[in-house]
Amino acid sequence: MLSLLPKDFEFFITMGDSQYSFSLTTFSPSGKLVQIEHALTAVGSGQTSLGIKAANGVVIATEKKLPSILVDETSVQKIQCLTPNIGVVYSGMGPDFRVLVRKSRKQAEQYHRLYKEPIPVTQLVRETAAVMQEFTQSGGVRPFGVSLLIAGYDDNGPQLYQVDPSGSYFSWKASAMGKNVSNAKTFLEKRYTDDMELDDAVHTAILTLKEGFEGQISGKNIEIGIIGTDKKFRVLTPSEVDDYLAEVE
Amino acid sequence: MSKSVIEMPPKGGFSFDLCKRNEMLAKKGVSPPSFRKTGTTIVGLIFQDGVILGADTRATEGPIVCDKNCEKIHYMAPNIYCCGAGTAADTEAVTDMVSSQLQLHRYHTGRESRVVTALTLLKRHLFNYQGYVSAALVLGGVDVTGPHLHTIYPHGSTDTLPFATMGSGSLAAMAVFESKYKEGLTRDEGIKLVTEAICSGIFNDLGSGSNVDICVITKGAKEYLRNHLQPNPRTYTSSKGYSFPKKTEVLLTKITPLKEKVEIIEGGDAMEE
Repeated sequence: MLSLLPKDFEFFITMGDSQYSFSLTTFSPSGKLVQIEHALTAVGSGQTSLGIKAANGVVIATEKKLPSILVDETSVQKIQCLTPNIGVVYSGMGPDFRVLVRKSRKQAEQYHRLYKEPIPVTQLVRETAAVMQEFTQSGGVRPFGVSLLIAGYDDNGPQLYQVDPSGSYFSWKASAMGKNVSNAKTFLEKRYTDDMELDDAVHTAILTLKEGFEGQISGKNIEIGIIGTDKKFRVLTPSEVDDYLAEVE
Repeated sequence: MSKSVIEMPPKGGFSFDLCKRNEMLAKKGVSPPSFRKTGTTIVGLIFQDGVILGADTRATEGPIVCDKNCEKIHYMAPNIYCCGAGTAADTEAVTDMVSSQLQLHRYHTGRESRVVTALTLLKRHLFNYQGYVSAALVLGGVDVTGPHLHTIYPHGSTDTLPFATMGSGSLAAMAVFESKYKEGLTRDEGIKLVTEAICSGIFNDLGSGSNVDICVITKGAKEYLRNHLQPNPRTYTSSKGYSFPKKTEVLLTKITPLKEKVEIIEGGDAMEE
């Protein structure tokens, strides 16, 4: 029978407080960070999203499957604008995406205030990735359950980046994430050409989404964002999306 | 309490009695009240379609004009502009900061910024710093609720007015407004009145000068008329060119080559590390 002295209780209390002071992403014996693997699984079960870099712009698109027909689809916007010339789409957990968008917007604005120039796409990607990495190495937090596709047009031309929950980022000519990722990537590999125009890229994006789409595709259940040589990122209205869909048919 | 007889000032000359008193007070640690010239004339008025802001373009550093054509009308949002008087660094920094905050707010809400939002952000910041941020502002813009014009004082108080002036030339400009302002001015009448008010400040106040900047904000559009009027043009060179009749005569030419002070030693030792 252990007789506990008051000082032992003190020890237990401090132990209890520090229960979450170590990171949840601790290395496994095989050298993997298990939480990040799980985060990637969360991303992989999210709705499909993709991006294509054309010669004169970038297009990003995503499925917008709502849980019920009663949901007001105009209140949901999955593609967001970070700066006038950079947009972003995600696959994975929506609320995590909102937090990242908020942080990225603030970072872009702070950069602009300091250097009085619009933030270059690579810089914003790097800073967003740094935030995501922070959450894999801090105490008491979990990694973000989203992968982002950041599309922008700056002095270096059109660019498309993917950022993963681990904080690693890659530049892509065309990429897909989410449920149907392998089929979508195969389709994109076949269809992608380096000298694609923005309109062709939009058509290709729609066809790729159609591949794995369950049900009738329309302007109300997909979202498309484009940025062209005018360097202004915008989300297409449902009627514009319907026009593109009609062209594809 | 003894009844003091009112003393007549001594005939002729300056009475130095109060100077002695001031000296005595200064020794005791009571500093004389200081006044700071803001050296600007900034105005704003509401006309039938929106708001017109006006400013002079002189920046002063004490008695010296340090910038003859500076911009005092600052961008806050596509539909909101702000004129700034006071310490130039303070007005620039504060309008820049609030403009940044408004941009973030626009992203989060997806809506056009309102003038009262800018007003509240500015006055909260200025109040927090208890008047040490020396920025006196005239804020004007047009949003969904209509045209608005406000003045903000360095300590954080605000006024909402149909016409407003700030800066050291504010009295000169206000005199013009008070006599000529009426409701429902047209765009041209409004611009003319604002120009007159700024010119009144430029010519009657030492702290204001150079040119007139105007900004017209209406629903959905804005016009920034930089240097709308230049009543103080500067002529740089005479068009005829300058010619100097008498040249300096050359009496004697003597060239003395200077000795080289640096001696180059070939193959010397390397420097010790």
